[in-house]
Amino acid sequence: MFSRDYRDVAGGLVLILLGVAVSGYAFSQYDLGTLRRMGPGMFPTILGIALALLGLLQVIPALARPGQMPEIRVFSPLFVLSGCAAFALTLTSFGLLPAVAALIVVSSLAELEIRPIRLALLIVALCLIAWLVFGLGFGLNLPMYRWPF
Amino acid sequence: MDIFANLLLGLETALSLQNLTYCLIGVVLGMLLGVMPGVGTLASISMLFPITFYLEPTTALIMLAGVWYGSTYGGSIASILLNIPGTPSSAVTALDGYPMSRQGRGGVALLMTTVASFVGGSVGIVVLMAFAPLIAPHALRFGSAEYFTLMLFGLVVASTISAGSMVKGLAMVVLGLTLGTVGADMYTGTPRFSFGFIELTQSLSIVALAMGIFGVSEVITMVRRIKPGDVDPKSVTMRAMIPKRDDWRNSWAAMARGSAIGTFFGALPGTGPSIAAFMSYAVEKRSAAKPERFGKGAIQGIMGPESANNAADQTAFIPTLTLGIPGSASMALMLGALMVHGIAPGPTLLTQQASLFWGLVMSFWIGNLILLVLNIPLIGLWVRILMIPYNLLYPAILMFICIGTYTVNNSVFDVWLVVVFGLLGYIMRIFEWPAAPLLLGFVLGPMMENHFRRSLLLSRGEFTTFVESPIAATSLGLTVLVLLWGIWSALRRRQGGFVKP
Repeated sequence: MFSRDYRDVAGGLVLILLGVAVSGYAFSQYDLGTLRRMGPGMFPTILGIALALLGLLQVIPALARPGQMPEIRVFSPLFVLSGCAAFALTLTSFGLLPAVAALIVVSSLAELEIRPIRLALLIVALCLIAWLVFGLGFGLNLPMYRWPF
Repeated sequence: MDIFANLLLGLETALSLQNLTYCLIGVVLGMLLGVMPGVGTLASISMLFPITFYLEPTTALIMLAGVWYGSTYGGSIASILLNIPGTPSSAVTALDGYPMSRQGRGGVALLMTTVASFVGGSVGIVVLMAFAPLIAPHALRFGSAEYFTLMLFGLVVASTISAGSMVKGLAMVVLGLTLGTVGADMYTGTPRFSFGFIELTQSLSIVALAMGIFGVSEVITMVRRIKPGDVDPKSVTMRAMIPKRDDWRNSWAAMARGSAIGTFFGALPGTGPSIAAFMSYAVEKRSAAKPERFGKGAIQGIMGPESANNAADQTAFIPTLTLGIPGSASMALMLGALMVHGIAPGPTLLTQQASLFWGLVMSFWIGNLILLVLNIPLIGLWVRILMIPYNLLYPAILMFICIGTYTVNNSVFDVWLVVVFGLLGYIMRIFEWPAAPLLLGFVLGPMMENHFRRSLLLSRGEFTTFVESPIAATSLGLTVLVLLWGIWSALRRRQGGFVKP
C-alpha cells in the first residue's frame, strides 16, 4: 500500500494553523500601523503569514511522497513533563527538597517500572546534591522545606 | 604594537585567580555533562547558564566558553567509546573514533582528539585575534538596513545549510522569531501575546526555552532507549593512550586542512562547527591515499573534523562579538548571557569592553590547555560516568534543569515554560523540525524587528533602503542565492541524483 508522508503533511498543517492563528491574532488585536511607522502588530502579522506559507510548502510535496510515521511515545513525555510540572506545583508551598522528591517520583515512572528501594536512594542522593549545590553553594533564596498547613 | 597591549590585557584578565578558577570549573563541568549520554553541548550550556548570573560578565562568559568546549570534548568521549554522539559534529568523530575503540585504540583516539582540538582551536583563536579588530570598525558604520539584511542572511544560511530540509529550517527560524515577539513591543510598550499573564509582558526566558527544547525533549527521547555502555577500562589506560609514530605522521596534514576549513566556515554567519566537521571529513576521505580505510578507524577521519569543529568554534565568535550576529545556537546562548548582563554585543564591544573581549580570547587558549592537561588524569572518571545507567541519570538531569531555570528569575512560571517548551521540543522531534534555527530566530528576533522597523522609518517606508547600500545589497543578494541553491538541491534530490558527500 502506498503510504504518504503523513508526518510532513501533519507537521505542515500544524504550521499553517499556527501561522494563521498568529497573524490573525496580531492583526485583530494590535495596531498594524503603516510601513513607514509600524505598529506592534505588523511584524507578528508578517511572521504568521510566512509561517503559514512555509507550512504550505511542507504539505504540498509531502502529499506526493511516500514516508513513514515516526514512533510517537506517550508515556515518556507524559511522565517526564508531569515530573517538571510536579516540581513547579510543589516548589513554593512545600520548599525545594519536597519538590525535588516529587519530580523524581513522577519522572521515574517514565521507566514504566517501580523499584521502591532504588527510588528512595535516588531521592536521598539527589536531595543531598540539591542541598549542597543550591543551598550551601549558591545560597538559593528559597526554603529547603516548608510546612504550609 | 597595539595588539601586544591587547594580548597583555587579555592575559592579565584571563589569568586572574577568579577567572582562571571559573574557567577550570567550566571546563570540568562541561566535560562532566558532555560525557553523559544524551546530554549535548546545548543542554550543558543551558543547564549551567543560570550559575553564571551570579558572576561578573567577563567571568560568566569565560566560564560558559569553558563549558562549551569542555562539553564538546565530552561529547567526543561518548561518541568515540560508545558511539553515542551528543552533537552533530561529534557524530562525525564517531564515524572513525568508534571503530578505533573497537580495535582497542580508544585511548589513542581520545588523546589525539584533544591534540586536534587544541591545534584547531589555536588556529581559530589566532584568526579571531587578527580579524575581529579589523571587522569591528567597519561594523560601526553599519546602519539598520545593513544589520537587518545581515541577520536575514545569517538566519537563511543557518536554516538552509545545516538542517536537513530547507523548508523545515526556515519554518523553525520564523517560529523562533515569532516566539521572540512575545512581550512588550519596544516602540509602543504594548504587551504582545501575553494572553493575560503578567509574566508574559516580559520576553520569554531564553533559559526556559533552551532547557525545554534541548534538555527536556532529549530526556524524553532517550528514556528507556540508552543502555549503559560496556567500555573496556583497559583500552583507556595511560599506556594505551600513547599514540604511535604512524598516528602522528598521518595526523599533521589532516589537522592543517581541518583547521583551515573550520576557520573559514566558523566565521561565516549561519554556518558553524558541524558543517565544518562534515566538510573536513569529506575532504579527508577524498584526499586520502586509502579512502577505503575511512569508517574503519582511520585516524585522519577524527583529526580533520575535530580540528575543524574546534577552529570553527573559535572563529564563530567573530560575527557574534563584532556584529552581534550569532552563527550557531550555542553562540546565541552566549549572546543571551551577554545581554542578561546588560552588555550589548556589537562593534563597540571591542573598544568599550576591551578587557572582556581580550580576556575571553586568551581564556580560550588557557581553557583548551586545561582540557588537554586534565584529560589524561580524568579519563578514568569519564569512563565511570559513561557506565552510569541512564535511569539514574535522567532524574538528576531534570532536577538540574528545573532548579536551574527557577533560579534565573526566581520564577515558578519559568518552570512551567520549561514544561511547555519540553512538549514543543518533543513535537519538533516527531516532525523532524530542527531546534537550533528556532533558538537563533528567538535570539535575533527582537533585534531584527527593531532594525526592520527602524530602517523603514528612516527610509519613509521605501523598501529600496535594503538595496541602496552595497553591504545590504550584497547580503540580500547572497541570501537570494542561498535560497535558490537550496531549492535547486531539493529538486535534484527529488530526482534521485543527489548523493550526500
